[in-house]
Amino acid sequence: MAKPFTTSVITAHDLVEGHAVFLGPEGWTRDIAASMVALTAEQAEEFTALAQRHVDGNTVVEPYLIEVSLDGGSPFPIARREQIRASGEPTIAFGRAA
Amino acid sequence: MYRYDEFDHRFVAERAAEFRDQVRRRLAGHLTEAEFKPLRLMNGLYLQLHAYMLRVAIPYGTLGSRQMRQLAMIAEKWDKGYGHFTTRQNIQFNWPKLKDVPDIIDALAEVEMHAIQTSGNCIRNTTSDPYSAVAADEVEDPRITAEVIRQWSSLHPEFTFLGRKFKIAVTGCEEDRTALLLHDIGIQVVRKDGETGYRVTVGGGMGRTPMIAKELRAFLPRADLLPYLEAALRVYNLHGRRDNKYKARIKILVHEIGIEAYAEQVEAEFAAMDRDAVAAPSEEIERIRAYFQPPELAERSASSPLIEQMKEASPEFAAWVAQNTFPHRVPGHVAATISLKPIGGAPGDATADQMRAMADIAETYSRDEMRVTHEQNIVLPHVAIEDLYKVWKALAAIGLDAPNKGLVTDIIACPGLDYCALATARSIPVAQRIAERFASTQRQKEIGPLQIKISGCINACGHHHVGHIGILGLDRAGIESYQITLGGDATETAALGERTGPGFGYDEVPEVIEKIIDTYIGLRDGDRESFIQTYRRVGMEPFKEVLYAAA
Repeated sequence: MAKPFTTSVITAHDLVEGHAVFLGPEGWTRDIAASMVALTAEQAEEFTALAQRHVDGNTVVEPYLIEVSLDGGSPFPIARREQIRASGEPTIAFGRAA
Repeated sequence: MYRYDEFDHRFVAERAAEFRDQVRRRLAGHLTEAEFKPLRLMNGLYLQLHAYMLRVAIPYGTLGSRQMRQLAMIAEKWDKGYGHFTTRQNIQFNWPKLKDVPDIIDALAEVEMHAIQTSGNCIRNTTSDPYSAVAADEVEDPRITAEVIRQWSSLHPEFTFLGRKFKIAVTGCEEDRTALLLHDIGIQVVRKDGETGYRVTVGGGMGRTPMIAKELRAFLPRADLLPYLEAALRVYNLHGRRDNKYKARIKILVHEIGIEAYAEQVEAEFAAMDRDAVAAPSEEIERIRAYFQPPELAERSASSPLIEQMKEASPEFAAWVAQNTFPHRVPGHVAATISLKPIGGAPGDATADQMRAMADIAETYSRDEMRVTHEQNIVLPHVAIEDLYKVWKALAAIGLDAPNKGLVTDIIACPGLDYCALATARSIPVAQRIAERFASTQRQKEIGPLQIKISGCINACGHHHVGHIGILGLDRAGIESYQITLGGDATETAALGERTGPGFGYDEVPEVIEKIIDTYIGLRDGDRESFIQTYRRVGMEPFKEVLYAAA
């Protein structure tokens, strides 16, 4: 049996900056809370196809879907890895702050 | 130190120009990511969790002040003001933007540096002993051989697309500080009947299938080095598996066909090949050797009344001298380790200010030279004992005076899930929490020599297999879980750690480490028996009992 669909958003890296971006209604955003949530597998496929067009259009690289929870009212990644990535920086003080 | 000749200059400049054009075409959309990715990787540029990452080669870990200042400039101008020194004796910048990378590469070339072969399935930076030209028992400076290998392996057409990456280390001493037996090929400079040559080992490695290297040749005459390496790599390149990247390392080949069969094939290839065409001309070796002439250090008195007085006055200074200095072959000198493991810091990180200060200190007190160690520290190789207090004061001013070399808080940790796209768990904050728990200098000293090594995934960049205490972070259904191993050893008595049992949660790790250490303290036969000695004597059982009994 196929795994039941979990609400997801699509993420990628900004080509020039390298940072994580999320697909929102007005394009790519660094804020996962502003991303479009796929509620069905069909929507996820649509978003994936759209992201691929942006890859071809040379704005982002390596798009993929991540599972999110909507419990807090806005999308929040389920996996620890994606939580850290969505935060945009390490969980520790770094550089001069360290 | 080795200086580029015209050939090196031209080669690096051409490569920089080529990569600049590749980046330009990528940004303009003329190259797709699929086309660009292998090109950027060949130039040390990764795409990590939060950003691009540029890994810069530091051949055999040796670095001059001018180079360190340039790294500081790069960190400040194009990154977030810091860099991360790695277990391959290299440095990584965590935040470069793609459009800036060509300028960074040009800035590196200005000081004879580059990022070539710091990634990809090629021969990576050849590492070496941080105490090269320091240790009294050294047969010969291993960097002469490492530089010969660097020149031979740079853009070697036959070995640019191997089945997997390939790592070589060279040491000139019996006592190993390079993790030699955990390398695809290990080379130890040895002397036999008055002749200098090499002992060659093969098939070591960490990763998901850790293995200790086996001896391939007990004695290889010096002149045969490159033909023999070429034969060894050729046999691997022909037969090594390419169907499964996890089985593509030479260790798997040597393991599958056996060291005897592999050695036979290498010897047959070696006998059949045109050795003279490959061997380094002796004039070239002599030219390289000249660059590694040890500095002329005047012999001094081994004891300095001034330093003795300062040690009396400052217990912190005394602790640092006792722990972070290594005897130099020239009396009155030491090699001093700058610990990049301040309590609460990220292991191996240094800010631009710290890099500049280290460069200044090296220029004034260490003949303009530094070494990056595979333990992610920096060594000042040639310091007069008389100058130690001034060096220590200067280090204290930048927060790099931790007297913890080789102790429980001198932890190797990979970048882990805070930076790395491959990681399954965090490493750095685990290291920080352990270091905070054992922050007391007195307590660290009581515990004695103890190496903790942490990897945030099974690829083992944090060398956990060979930590006296190894920690491996895994992902268990989206939650970080940490496996503990005991009894690993990265030296000439290399051993792989043994798993204690089921893993522990992120928050539990410091407590678990403390239990292990308390158990050791309770079991040790006098305070001179180190953790690893006690472990070898008593085995796993007592530790297991303490860790899992209550559960």
